[in-house]
Amino acid sequence: MVFFEQLAGNLLYGIILGAVYGLATMGLSQIFGVLKIVNVGHGAFIMVGAYVAYWMFVLYSVNPILSIPVALVIGLALGLGIFYIVIRRLIGAPELASLLATFGIGIFIEEVAKFFWGPDHRGFSWNIGQVDFGITLIPNTKLLAFFSSVIIALILYMLFQRTRIGAAIRAVVEDREGAMVCGIDVSRIYAMSFGIGIAMTVIGGILLTLFIPVGINPYMGGEYTLKAFVIAVLGGLGSPWGAFIGGFIFGLLENGSYTILGLIPGVEPFSLTRFVAFSALLVILLVKPTGLMGGE
Amino acid sequence: MNWKKTFVVLVIVAMSLFILGCAEKQPAPTPTPESKPAPEATPSPEAKVPEKIVIGGTLSLSGKYANEGQMSLWGIQAALKWLNDVNGGIDIGGKKVKVEFKYYDDEAKKETVQSLYDRLITVDKVDVLLAPYSSGLTLAAAPIADKNGKVYMSHGGASDRIFEQGYTYVVQTLSPASKYQTGALDMVKAIDPTAKRVAFVYEDSEFSKAVFKGAKEYAEQLGFEVVFDKTYPRNPTDLTPLLSEMKAAEPDIILGGGHFADGQLLATQLAELKINAKLVSIIVAPALPKFYDALGVKAEGIVGPGQWEVGVKYSPEAAKAKGIEYFGPTQDEFMQYFKEVAGEDKTPSYHAAEAGAAILAIAKAIENAQSTDSDAIRNAFNNLHMITFFGEFKIDPTTGKQLGHEMVLFQWQGGKKVIIWPPEAATGEPYYPIPTWEEKEQGKMATK
Repeated sequence: MVFFEQLAGNLLYGIILGAVYGLATMGLSQIFGVLKIVNVGHGAFIMVGAYVAYWMFVLYSVNPILSIPVALVIGLALGLGIFYIVIRRLIGAPELASLLATFGIGIFIEEVAKFFWGPDHRGFSWNIGQVDFGITLIPNTKLLAFFSSVIIALILYMLFQRTRIGAAIRAVVEDREGAMVCGIDVSRIYAMSFGIGIAMTVIGGILLTLFIPVGINPYMGGEYTLKAFVIAVLGGLGSPWGAFIGGFIFGLLENGSYTILGLIPGVEPFSLTRFVAFSALLVILLVKPTGLMGGE
Repeated sequence: MNWKKTFVVLVIVAMSLFILGCAEKQPAPTPTPESKPAPEATPSPEAKVPEKIVIGGTLSLSGKYANEGQMSLWGIQAALKWLNDVNGGIDIGGKKVKVEFKYYDDEAKKETVQSLYDRLITVDKVDVLLAPYSSGLTLAAAPIADKNGKVYMSHGGASDRIFEQGYTYVVQTLSPASKYQTGALDMVKAIDPTAKRVAFVYEDSEFSKAVFKGAKEYAEQLGFEVVFDKTYPRNPTDLTPLLSEMKAAEPDIILGGGHFADGQLLATQLAELKINAKLVSIIVAPALPKFYDALGVKAEGIVGPGQWEVGVKYSPEAAKAKGIEYFGPTQDEFMQYFKEVAGEDKTPSYHAAEAGAAILAIAKAIENAQSTDSDAIRNAFNNLHMITFFGEFKIDPTTGKQLGHEMVLFQWQGGKKVIIWPPEAATGEPYYPIPTWEEKEQGKMATK
């Protein structure tokens, strides 16, 4: 019984973590889908989001959920700024150029953050109780992170599927020249997509602090960049929805495999969970090389 | 096509330079790395006094140990301030020689560390090496230092494994890892003989594994029952699976941790899952004030081992009472120099103290050796027994491992770190058992 209780508890946490992972990855997929640029500096924007949550909470006592609009504005501004200064020049350039550029931007943002805020690992405490599920306790902040992720993902879905801008973005993804012929301002779509992608990532950073309110530091993004790549590939690079679902799978695998691995005598289950998650990625790619939601 | 030719020429030039460089390095006399006792130091009276003494090392000023690296740098600068400005330098042959610290940022990366130590030895030609922060990085550069016959002082590498490799020139300032959690066990045994069930939950890293290997052996010696003993990988995002399993083991005492970020996460998630124990002792993380800033009341009662804490009672008078020589600034003086270099609002962590103490130990050994020759310095270390503001210094002659220095145990009580163990160093009483998470949510502090 204890085994199943622990497994269920871990899977619950896995779902919540997965939702946050998913949202934090959607921006990466979105940018790749539209601009065909891999944002290697992805983690730096997650870090920016975490700091937005931290400073809003510490300086103005604004809780992280209410900081989401602030993150949206900051993310859009940052994304558009970077687009017009750097990325615009890299559309259609060799892949190496855009890889280097986004890598450089990531390092630049991290070092600026370190310059202003120092290397300390910061954190905050927002206690709003917890829900007792019988099998495990889940803090309300984590539940909020889960619901916010799902709601934001839904809003994005509506934006892409039901609005003219969404249709234009999808048109550019499908056929750039065709879209141009139809009178779509492709360069504006690029700018918007990049801006939205970065804003989503920054918001992902905010939600992450709801899941883990500690360890906020300029270099925290690296770990998430790696996971985001795995999740994005898992879901099919270029498909934000695939990324969201990929996040769930990754979260479930990471947390769920622990209890099962614990049954094997003599192994450290935690050190194997990542192995399991990455093996699953390999298997999925072998079966469907374009990822779960990827096109042909 | 012209640039192609230029390119080819450049490549040839670069290659030949590289080969020349290698060729030059080859015949350099390299002492054998076998663990032979260092030869007797016989400084000839006419040995020429150097213009200055350069201690070289890398610090993690960026990357995951940027916190600890910055603290180390300030500690080193504070120690040098005393050494050069107050002491006038190191006395060699009646002449005071100034000491300089040459350092690079290693970004907390093993690859970087190795090439930078190579550079410090071959290009900068420093006299003595100060190891980087952390056991992993210290181990990474140790073979390079030892192969080149440079004394290599560990100030932040606590793992016992560093000193089990048969190196000749590696020396340690701080207590080895195996001693980090023994104080907490000693204390619990002394004040609560009924607490028997111990859980270990720690990072899968060089240092923490050494800590908990030592702790486990010691716990079993003292008659504790180890009911849980598991690790988590580096940079964990969520410890829930591990902690739910630990909760089921119903431990009386929880000992855990690794480095800073995961220690913070561990405490946070213990609180979230309401896993209560009579004592929670976490290595590294609770030592920094940022731990309390981030956790607030949740940090109350949490205990941590420290190499050093502000307020420990090592003084020239205490040294005199013990009949051991005192060297370096007093604690108050160190604090003052530290604030001069770091800023008035900064308080030194133990990382700063151990780095500063390492510099003092190097200086004292050079002075005793009356030479900057590596073998002479290494030999002087064997006979060096002194007390600094950081505590006692006495190494094991064969391995270089620190034996003299003692750890202290502190506890967060009412937003302040209070030294609670050992009794002779304590500045307050332990608060035991610590308040439960539920009590802390109501605002209960670990104060009577």
